[in-house]
Amino acid sequence: MTEATPEGDPQIESEVKESEAGPMRRRAPASLRSRAGWPVLAPFALLALLAVAVVLPNLAPPLSLANPDRTAVTGFRAALGTLPDDPLVLVAFDADFGTYPEISYATRSALAELADSGASLAFVSYSPEGRALAAAELDRLQRSGVPADRLLDLGYRSGVEAGLVQSVTSIVPEAASGPLAGRVRAQGGGIDAFDAALIVGGSDLGPRIWIEQVATRIPQLPLVAIAPTVLRPELEPYLASGQLEGLLGTLRDGVAYGGDNGTAPDRPPSALAMLLGMLVGIGVLVEAAGGRLAAALSSLPGRRR
Amino acid sequence: MRRSLPTALVVVVGLLLLLDFVVVNPSLAALAGTLLEYIVLIAAAAAITGALALGLRQVGLLRHGGEARSGPLLVLGGMAVMLIAGFYPGSSGATDPAVRWLVAALLMPLVAALFGLLFFFLLGAAQRGLRLRSRETTVMLLAACAALVLLLPLGGIVGAWLAGASSWALAVPIGGVFRGLLIGIAIATAISAARILLAVDGASDD
Repeated sequence: MTEATPEGDPQIESEVKESEAGPMRRRAPASLRSRAGWPVLAPFALLALLAVAVVLPNLAPPLSLANPDRTAVTGFRAALGTLPDDPLVLVAFDADFGTYPEISYATRSALAELADSGASLAFVSYSPEGRALAAAELDRLQRSGVPADRLLDLGYRSGVEAGLVQSVTSIVPEAASGPLAGRVRAQGGGIDAFDAALIVGGSDLGPRIWIEQVATRIPQLPLVAIAPTVLRPELEPYLASGQLEGLLGTLRDGVAYGGDNGTAPDRPPSALAMLLGMLVGIGVLVEAAGGRLAAALSSLPGRRR
Repeated sequence: MRRSLPTALVVVVGLLLLLDFVVVNPSLAALAGTLLEYIVLIAAAAAITGALALGLRQVGLLRHGGEARSGPLLVLGGMAVMLIAGFYPGSSGATDPAVRWLVAALLMPLVAALFGLLFFFLLGAAQRGLRLRSRETTVMLLAACAALVLLLPLGGIVGAWLAGASSWALAVPIGGVFRGLLIGIAIATAISAARILLAVDGASDD
């Protein structure tokens, strides 16, 4: 970084020196000191604006989070539509805390749609974070009125990929009881006892690992996934090849799916709040880039004199 | 010589699991199942050891750590609260209402808030990065700016165009880079595994 320090720009040089001088107790950079006041208040002002935007209703149609291209939603819904009557669906819940807010709306909508269609849902997790989130969602489903005999908690399986491979032949813990656990045991006790698997991704053990470790062993099992945007590029080829039958891989697709779904249990994320945050982000980047451009122009040979 | 035993173990276990994957044989499947159970047990033991090590480290920091004691106190307090909620007499473990409440009402909002703050930290870092005039930072931030513009939640024709463009960007340029990375990682992993299997790695012969 230091070799890029410009010559002939005292402000930037002083900031670079300051940033290299003391790690914790250095003084604020000169540019910040000169603008003392607003930088301190700006985060609070933004926070207040975001809070107001979240509370305000979405201004449709000028603002819309839903993807107008319904290809992903149609594919996802078509995959769920092929399930038999009274289906047994395995929900592999391995989201992570950081990205779950992005997919929680789509996940809750999908779970509500499955529950409304009469599906029995069995939850399993291979990551501790996923387990914590799955427990919270199970609780939510029970409180929303889904009968307890249509929900099965298969708990947390340690061993990450090894645990997943083990589940192919044995997924029901010995302590599990009830009609649903008995139904899975009667059909072999492994993942192939299920009619489909809904993978809620985000952690290391996401849809890709499921395709590598489970789809290769049980190719007839339909896999659908809900994943944060960051995972979509790696999942796109599996969707194109048909190994993944449905994917909601962006916030736009998730909101479009939940919007179509009359049973969506949540309010969709606030488009106004997102727009505000994004505009602030773009503004800060443009301002910083403008400063850099101005510094570059002022250091041109003709302007140095 | 000291490293030849672990290498031999890795080779034998790897080959057995690979054979089980391609050959249908009940005895082999049973053997592979036992090996998988060992791997799962080792992973569980590693997780417990990690938690214990974290706890001990925080206790050490608390005993010798001068001013900065709030961090270790919070970590130990958080661990204690979770353990008590999961292990008190009559508790149903991870499904206990107390644990569920702690996760849903405390942990999830806290982590979501932390990740929300990441946006502001990234903006601050971007500003400073641009002032330092690194060319790579400039390119990265221009790409971030373009991505932000594409993700603007607008409706109407402009919104439809932006949504289409962001889908294209995810599927084509970003997807291409991701796939390249994944293929590179897979090749490197395969080469590394082959080196271990064929004992090409000089260190394994020590």
